[in-house]
Amino acid sequence: MSVVQAPQETQEASTRSLIAVVALMIGSAMAFTLATAPFARLLGAGAGAIPSAFHGMVAFLYLFIGTIGLYLGWRLLTGRISAFADLQLLAVVMATFSFLAIVFGNWLYIAYRAAHPDSPRSYFMANAPDVHKVFFEFKEFGALFTLPLTVCAAFLLWRYGAQVMQEKWLRYTVAILIGLSFFYLVAAFGLGAAVTKLKPA
Amino acid sequence: MATGVLEPRGVVVAAAATVVKDERRRSRPNGEAVAALLAAMLGMLTLALVNQLTAMSAGVNAWVHSIGKLWMPGAQGIGPYSGKETLALVAWIVGWAVLHPALRRREMSLSRWLIVFLLGVGIATTFIWPPVFEHVAGYFAGH
Repeated sequence: MSVVQAPQETQEASTRSLIAVVALMIGSAMAFTLATAPFARLLGAGAGAIPSAFHGMVAFLYLFIGTIGLYLGWRLLTGRISAFADLQLLAVVMATFSFLAIVFGNWLYIAYRAAHPDSPRSYFMANAPDVHKVFFEFKEFGALFTLPLTVCAAFLLWRYGAQVMQEKWLRYTVAILIGLSFFYLVAAFGLGAAVTKLKPA
Repeated sequence: MATGVLEPRGVVVAAAATVVKDERRRSRPNGEAVAALLAAMLGMLTLALVNQLTAMSAGVNAWVHSIGKLWMPGAQGIGPYSGKETLALVAWIVGWAVLHPALRRREMSLSRWLIVFLLGVGIATTFIWPPVFEHVAGYFAGH
């Protein structure tokens, strides 16, 4: 079996190209979805349909970006990162999406916990109380943790710059912050998707 | 340096100052990192604590809700959650505003404070898990 010879020198893709690729992928996925899916039916008729759409879309994009950030965080942890500037950018984007997800989540929460018997909260309390009392309540607090964690990671990456790569414990700290934020993101996303599947707002 | 003998003293002092400034620019003390970590931890612990207290007392629950209603749009519909978010945010931001200037010039043991941070996040996570905080609330209600 022949060994593939690694190129002697590879040039890192620019940050601009990373943004372009991500925008193209997201844009094409959304265009395809809008062109082929019964969007109005997908949105639903409930009071929480619009905030739910925004919250879900932002959370999905955050998950997508957070996954790339997690990979770069892993590269940072192991001291093998070369796309440091991309990680700096992604940390800011992750913090931004965390904030937006929380804002839209607050908006959605109004419909979720509305006093009428058809609201998701009322439905769960009547039929499956643990869904609200355990899973949703953990989700609503765990999701908030993503904001200080991602802001802290972004702050360290920008404030310390290249020093992060040179100092072992700064590297570990940033990587752990990104890893922790990803944990709370996935927990909140998974629980939110499950709740929406059981009873859309 | 040999050139220091032949050059005027002012030039040597200026050169030394440039070296020191370059070293400072290259290596920022990690006190700011510790401050950012501890402030984030403080925000998370505050959220857990406020949530615990609202589970234990209807009066505290109503007060926390009133905090959210002071500024947050839709707080009436969001409920006490708006106040919990507010108090956690205030604790985080104020904590950072205090700790950053206090620690910014200090070189600290980042590994030790990272462990403190992780323990704090672990405690906060434990107390936002409903079976735990409901159990604690129930324990205090019965005593």
